[in-house]
Amino acid sequence: MVRNKLAAGLKKIYPAGRILTGTLEKKMYSYDSSFYARFRDFIPDAVVLPRSTAEVSATMKLASEHGIPVVPRGAGSGETCGCLAVRGGIVLDFSSWDDVEEVDPENMQVFARPGVVHYQLNEHLADFGLFFPPDPGSTRMCTIGGMVANNSSGLRAVKYGTTEQYVLGLEVVLPDGRIIETGGVNCRALKNVSGLNLTKLFVGSEGILGVITMVRLRVWPRPKARGLAMAVFTDLEAAPAAVLDVYQSGILPSGIEILDSSAIHAVNLYNPAINLPEAEAILIFEVDGNPAGVTWEGEKIVEITKKRASRVEWSTEPGRMAELWRGRSVVAVAAARLRPDGSRIFAGEDISVPLSKVTEALRRIKELGRQHEITVVNYGHIGDGNIHTAPVINLDNPEEVARANALVDAIHRLAIELGGSTTGEHGVGAVRNQYAADEHGRAADIMKQIKETLDPENIMNPGKLLPPGEAGKSV
Amino acid sequence: MSEELAGLKEHYMRCVRCGQCRSVCPVFREIRNETVSPRGKIFLAHLLSSGEAKVNNEAASLLSQCLLCRACSVECPSAIPVHEIVTAARSLAAKKLPSPLKSLLHRKIWSSPARLNFSVSLFRHCQGLLKPAATLNLLPPALSLPGRLPRRPARPSIPGQTPASGKAKMRVGYFLGCSTNYLFPGIARSTVAVLARLGCEVVLPQELKCCGLPQLAAGEDKTAAHMASANLEAFRRLNVKVVVSDCASCTATLKESFPQNGSNGIKVLDLSELLAVLTEGNELKFKTINRVVTYHDPCHLANAQSITAAPRNLLRRICTEFREMPGAAECCGGGGSFVLHHYGTGMAILNKKILNLKKTGAETVATSCPNCIMQLRHGLLKHGSGTEVVSVVQLLAESLEITF
Repeated sequence: MVRNKLAAGLKKIYPAGRILTGTLEKKMYSYDSSFYARFRDFIPDAVVLPRSTAEVSATMKLASEHGIPVVPRGAGSGETCGCLAVRGGIVLDFSSWDDVEEVDPENMQVFARPGVVHYQLNEHLADFGLFFPPDPGSTRMCTIGGMVANNSSGLRAVKYGTTEQYVLGLEVVLPDGRIIETGGVNCRALKNVSGLNLTKLFVGSEGILGVITMVRLRVWPRPKARGLAMAVFTDLEAAPAAVLDVYQSGILPSGIEILDSSAIHAVNLYNPAINLPEAEAILIFEVDGNPAGVTWEGEKIVEITKKRASRVEWSTEPGRMAELWRGRSVVAVAAARLRPDGSRIFAGEDISVPLSKVTEALRRIKELGRQHEITVVNYGHIGDGNIHTAPVINLDNPEEVARANALVDAIHRLAIELGGSTTGEHGVGAVRNQYAADEHGRAADIMKQIKETLDPENIMNPGKLLPPGEAGKSV
Repeated sequence: MSEELAGLKEHYMRCVRCGQCRSVCPVFREIRNETVSPRGKIFLAHLLSSGEAKVNNEAASLLSQCLLCRACSVECPSAIPVHEIVTAARSLAAKKLPSPLKSLLHRKIWSSPARLNFSVSLFRHCQGLLKPAATLNLLPPALSLPGRLPRRPARPSIPGQTPASGKAKMRVGYFLGCSTNYLFPGIARSTVAVLARLGCEVVLPQELKCCGLPQLAAGEDKTAAHMASANLEAFRRLNVKVVVSDCASCTATLKESFPQNGSNGIKVLDLSELLAVLTEGNELKFKTINRVVTYHDPCHLANAQSITAAPRNLLRRICTEFREMPGAAECCGGGGSFVLHHYGTGMAILNKKILNLKKTGAETVATSCPNCIMQLRHGLLKHGSGTEVVSVVQLLAESLEITF
């Protein structure tokens, strides 16, 4: 009954080509990049492709009238089931709403619709000598809407921070269909402290409070120069120590990445031509800015890291930088090469720990791997304590899958124990919400209250982010 | 589990569904929803092979939304051969949902040169009869793609053996593909004449069949395999060790269907590879062609064979000016029969290509695949553009002042 009403209602809002109801079509919306989704069947009742705020608003009114869940989706490149219809309902696929509405170079900002792909936004901004600094590894596919909803960051967060620092305002459709503008109505100011900061409330809210239909982003002048330093360590503990040395010398690189011994080995198996030196750890420092500053900082990094590293190399030459970067760029998939029947899984892949605990975290993750008899590869954004762990398993072996799940749980709990977080940049979704109460204590109750106020029917991306057990309805 | 897909399991299990393939898929870029994404097709293939989903019309329709351009296979960080997975899934679909008409076309007509000749000739006659209907736009628009077919295919005008001018440096087998033969006989004549001028003895077996790509793309893999072994045998009988073709789709297919090494192997070269070798340090006089030229990368050359520099180098050498086209390596939207089934999508992809082409201001666009030539000509015609589309080898024939 509700399904029939849903179909009829959607037909009034969308032209036929932008409603997908085929059995297999809907099934293709049951995955993102997460391990969790591989073993579940989160199939929506309908998929629509909105291209206007009015369409989204009408969809929300229809959904709230019938108590139907609504799930916004960007590129589906996430690792947390954040864009999956875990309780059925309507998926809003924003892939086709990808207009950069306006670049306002005078005011250093850009207005983009949710489906704009990250690298396309930066290509657009390059014409104006501008850029949007957060740089997720998924730049080729991830959308701005998804980045804002998950407060994404990535490789350059050390210097440039995360997406939230760039969001000046949002257009949001609330669960009841109302449309609001956060950050000030028609506001183009860069600074604005009036009112409660609703922009920050929606950034990183993973679609549980409303649907983002427009993003106003602050953008920065594009740096003129860039350089990379690679430092090789025969002792794992020396690597985080070298990171602190660099910070203490007054240098703030744009990114600092680590590959541990298992990651180095995997990269060399994946492509022997990359030929990374087999070592306990490799650090890659990225520096950007004006040419003189980049050279000075690069040389300083070499001088400092030499004290602990067995080998250091610095380059500002694009070809060589690409070579130095290759190992880091392939490691996420290279991990699978550690065993012939192996698949890299995205689970427990994003913990964040205090800088002072990075060494301990890396060591204990390896121990946990041994205990659970699962091969793990560690790499990530060591500059801000964000470690990407890649368990490599045989997906066809249920017993191994069960062990992997136990390992992942242990990694998440380790992060909390060390005073960190279960997720530094990928988000909570439906895969880490069981830790929300432990991570946030009483603050989790306030999150629930905010959710209940804005979405009393619990139709907005239910089953995500908040501790499990919140009231939920399903179609 | 289906046999076709079982062998590819290790590949599709590696897909972490990161979605990077979305960034390069020409079909996805037009339609922009998950159902046409390459990772979606891997997912679908997985469902079909495990029996979780049944092969039905919906599955076949989703599988048809692929140009087999291989952009995703090249882009995939996990190096998953998506095109092989799609082809295998189509093969499964062709078995479970047999289409008598398609089977007749691929198994009985296309696999037999005599029947194909007859059918093409019949089609040509129909083109004449149906001209009034075509003028009134009463026919499916895809039928206008090949333009008016030439009166005669290339084959009758090419001898079984063409001697090299001067001392023969090598003996090559010429694989005359269907598109070159029926649509662009001039390209075939240029290929043979240029190869002979550059010191090749050119052998054209009488009994060649199609390369098998249309059959593979339609899921008729067994038919394609029969055709490949017949072609291989035809070249072996003539003691040919190197086979060359002016069609990138043919060479990409033959490289994968002919054993390339060993005593029984036959080395397949795309014409652009062979021309690069033959023109290197050649003392022949190349006349400079007074024309601004640009180049379109056929997917079956750039993505399937990683050949991008050779044709450009040649064009730089023989033309007054070469201008690189933005997005030169992006598909033109033809994809063999893709554009027949999905004419609107094919034209939207083509439109982007034509706009990029126009940006160069080039008078001539050269490429290395007759199927791309057909598609580009169609697009330029629709845009009312006078830009000429030719095969690289035709420009080389002009530069060598070969007249026919």
